[in-house]
Parts: sequence; structure tokens; C-alpha cells
Amino acid sequence: MGVVAGAIVRTNDCFQIACVTKKYPIFFMLSDLLNAKSRILREYLQVRTGRVIALPTYRMEGVRLNENVAILGGAASPVGKMQGVSEDGIQQLEHEVLAKLVVEALADAGLEKSDVGSMIFTLPRPYTQQKYFATFMANYLRLPCDGLVMEVMGNGMTPALAFQTAIDQVRLGRTKVALALGVNFETGTPSAEHMMSSMRATGDVDFHTPFGFTPISWYAMDAVRYIHEHNSSREDIASVAVKNRRHAMDNPIAQYRKPMSLDDVLAQRPIVEPLGLFEVPGRGDGAVCLVVASEDVARGTGKPFVRVKGEGFYHEGAHQISEMPNDMISFEAAKIAGAKAFLNAGISAKNLDLAEIYAPCTIVEILVAEALGLCPRGQGARQAANGETSVGGRIPICTSGGLLSRGHPAYVTALYSYFEVLEQLRGRGGARQVSDAELGIVCTELGNYNAAMVHVLEAVA
Amino acid sequence: MTNDVQQMTGKRAYPPRKSEFTQVFWDGVAQGRFRTTKCGKCERTSFPPKPICPHCWSDQVSWTDLSGHGVLYSATTVHAGPAAFAADLPYRVGIVDLDEGMRVATRILDDTKLDEPVELVALAYEDGPLYGARRAPADK
Repeated sequence: MGVVAGAIVRTNDCFQIACVTKKYPIFFMLSDLLNAKSRILREYLQVRTGRVIALPTYRMEGVRLNENVAILGGAASPVGKMQGVSEDGIQQLEHEVLAKLVVEALADAGLEKSDVGSMIFTLPRPYTQQKYFATFMANYLRLPCDGLVMEVMGNGMTPALAFQTAIDQVRLGRTKVALALGVNFETGTPSAEHMMSSMRATGDVDFHTPFGFTPISWYAMDAVRYIHEHNSSREDIASVAVKNRRHAMDNPIAQYRKPMSLDDVLAQRPIVEPLGLFEVPGRGDGAVCLVVASEDVARGTGKPFVRVKGEGFYHEGAHQISEMPNDMISFEAAKIAGAKAFLNAGISAKNLDLAEIYAPCTIVEILVAEALGLCPRGQGARQAANGETSVGGRIPICTSGGLLSRGHPAYVTALYSYFEVLEQLRGRGGARQVSDAELGIVCTELGNYNAAMVHVLEAVA
Repeated sequence: MTNDVQQMTGKRAYPPRKSEFTQVFWDGVAQGRFRTTKCGKCERTSFPPKPICPHCWSDQVSWTDLSGHGVLYSATTVHAGPAAFAADLPYRVGIVDLDEGMRVATRILDDTKLDEPVELVALAYEDGPLYGARRAPADK
């Protein structure tokens, strides 16, 4: 036909493929194309194998692009030390840990292996032995896929990007069921050595790193500025760690579950002033698998599920800081991404029943809560100290225990956040259950909240 | 305009790289001179210096002098650091808002408090320059 250019265009509520031939522009529905392609695919498979391939019908059909997407199931390992070193003799292997979770998550979702058509992995840490992990796992699980099989990376946002990409695979019609999954193994590498790599990710290697900025030094400077501007205190900020520990004590997969008082937190050695050891994240290994599906598949299982009701993303175009002086602690990206997600979901912050916030340090949870409108500006620390963000309070934040107590296996951390909201919205939160939880939010970031990704999640019985 | 150059013993813990473009900046720092790039089209400055203006993407940039004076926006003392900085621990880093309306991140050499005036000083290590900020003298 002599196509010289093509593009996907959006008209009203559907997508079309626009092609320009040498003579005419041609438009056709993407779903037509997908159906045509599916027929070709089916015939091709028949020719190749000499038999009719029994794939679920929906893996061979086009899907409406604006379809609702659901989280239908999930499984997560306890956060802690899993990665060994060769001197240990017997070690845990990353793919063995993850494969078990895949099976468990699919059973939780009420689906079969053959339903899955895409796997979006978080990129493993550089210290993970097995490289090219996604394609290795496709073999390990013996899972042919029509949709994408890939690894994504975006520092702390990595798991959120994997989740979003899985959603997009379903929404684009490349599959009806996608997995967002990953394993983060890092405890076999000492912290000082680990920081040699992580400091290069959270700053300009030529204009920040040479001075000795560490990833959490930026958050510490947020805390210093917050105390300075809002007449807050280290004590109020540190209360977030106490609150999150109390939540984690009721979470069986949390890394740190021993009771902890405010005095315990304040007595720790300083790490990045004013933050001490219990106000910054520990390091841990972890693995999670989430099952994302189109809403019709989710409904077909007859199980309760969680609808992805709204999404928002924003990158402010800065890396830690830019040369333009701004209000660093207003977390503009979280503010904008949150507003977009609320608009997309047709709700406002006050409708939320709980929030899982990606907050490596106490202060970050406070600043994000303020940016999202969960707490008034300058009052987030005080409200945390008053119990307003605890389970049973006005708006429970980080019921899982958050990064500080549930744990922070960085490249899968946000998958744990989605998993927590999935459990809460299905009423499976145990002693930390938020009563009548119907609407939850997950907020993730990269840099010093230079970018934020927000998902509004809704319980569907 | 030049700023103080402080002689340092030993080598830099994590030396910055130099390109043909950024060596102008680093060679200036070695002599106590702070410069960055200014766009000839939109007339805005940027930091670090760049051959492309980040604001309007023009390549019509030229060097402009900085006073090296500003105020401390925020700072922290690092007690647990990467292996390369172990010998420096604890050390203070911070964010300085320069009088020219530009924000830079650097080592903070004393206990200056937030919003107090600071000045940049060149740090001449045996293997090359870095810079830091300290409390500005009252008469400046």
C-alpha cells in the first residue's frame, strides 16, 4: 500500500491507527488491526505446530483501549535478609523466591498460567547474580507471552513504572492479564559499598557527588528546612517512625516489628542530621508479584478486586535540585501528580480511606501528605504526632509500616505499597485493617520527589 | 571578581570529570573564579554550565562571572557515607542560593545557619579543585 507514515491517534473515546499512503490518509480502528493480527497469528501458529493452539480467546482478541484495569491478586515475601554470599554455602536464589510468588499470586487471583500474556519486571539490583532477568524468568516459568516481557528501571519509582507498564499492556490490548513483579536482592553488599553506587543515582556525578551527597542527605535537608520554616521539631517528625512501627507490628511481612518508642528513635546515632538511624530506611531484600487484569476478567473470577480508578504522573524537570531556587519542600511533583490522579478518578483527597506513601525518611511522608492535601501545609508532623495518620485516625498513612518498618527493598518497594492497599481494600489487613476501606492511594517518587506517580485504587466487591 | 582559594592536603575523594566545555569552569575555580553559562537568546543563566541552554535549548551560550555570594538554603551533616568519603566523616553538605538567583549544592565548611549569608571558596586539592561555602564576612 506504500505507507509512508503512521501514528496512533485518539478520537473521542477510542484509538485509531492513522496511516498516510503515497496518495491517501487511511484510518482504521486499532481493534480491527489487532483482530486481523490475531487471525494471522493463529494461522501462523497452526502452520508452525500443525495443531490448533488452545490459547484463551481473549489473548487472541483486540481489547477496548479505555478499558478499566484491576489488581486481581498478589503475593509478597517477608522483607528482610534473603541474599546470601557464596561463603554461606546454601543460598536463596532470586528466581526461586520469585517463581513461588508468581504461582501464589495467580492462585490468589483465581487465574491460570495460560491467562498471563505479559510480564513486567523491576530491574534487579546490579548485585543480583542472574542478568537479563526477565527473559531468564520467561524460560524458568516456561511462559510464552504475546504482550511485553521486559525489565524497567527508574530508581525508587521502578516498581511503580513496572505496575504502570503492566496496566498499559492490558489497556493497549496486548494482553488481558499482566504480571508486575520483581525481586530486590542487595543485603549481600555492605552499605558503604552500596552507597558508592546509589550516590551516583541521586545527584549530578560531576557537580553533586564530589561533595559527598548521599541519597538521604537530600531528605535530611528537607527536614532541616521544614523545621526552620514551620517551627516544627525533630520529635514531631520522628513520631512518624513510631507510628509506622506500630503499624508494622501487625504486618507479618514487615522487616522491623519490635515495639519502639519515641525515646528509642531519638536515642539513635545520627545518620544525616537531624535524622538518626530509625528515621532513615534500613536495607532489605524482598520480592512481590501482582496480577493486573482487565476488569471483565476480574469480574469473571467472581472474586473481590481493586480497580485502578485514577492515575497521575509528573516530572518537574529537575534532578534533586535545579539551578532555579524553588520551595524545595512543597514537593511540586507530588502535588501535581496527585491532583491529576484525583481528577482522573473523580475524587478529592478527603474521600480517601488510606494512603501508602513512598517515604524513605520520616520527613518525606510528612511532605508528601501535605503535597497530596492529606494534611495542611506545615502541620503534617504535628498531625502525625497526634495520631491523625495512624490506623484508627483521620487518614491512616502507611498501614504496612512503610519503608521504615515494613522495609525498603528499593527496586520492589512500591510493589509492596500496592500489595498493602490491595489487601486493605479486600479487607485482609488483619489487626491493622482500616475499617470500611474503599478508596486508597499509592504515591511513589524518584530523586528528591522530582517526579511522582500516583494511583487511586478502589475496592470492588 | 575572585574568591579565596584554600589549600587542601590530599586528593579529592570523588573527583568530577572535565570535558572540553566544563574545564573552563574548573580551571576558573582553581583560581578562585566562579563562572557559569548565560544564554544569548533568552538571557537566562544555568548551573552547572552547559553548552545548551536548558531553558530555551539555544546553543548561543557564553560565560558569565558569579559573585560567589548567597545565603544558605539548607544543610545537613552526613555521619554515614559512601566508602570514598569515609575519611571525611562527619562532613556537612548544603544548598546555597546565590545572589544571582541561582541554586548550587556544595560542601559547607562551617556551622552557618539557614538563611545566613555565605560565600563560595575554592578548595585546591593536590589533584585539582573543588569548592565549598562558608559564612560570609560581615563587611561584604
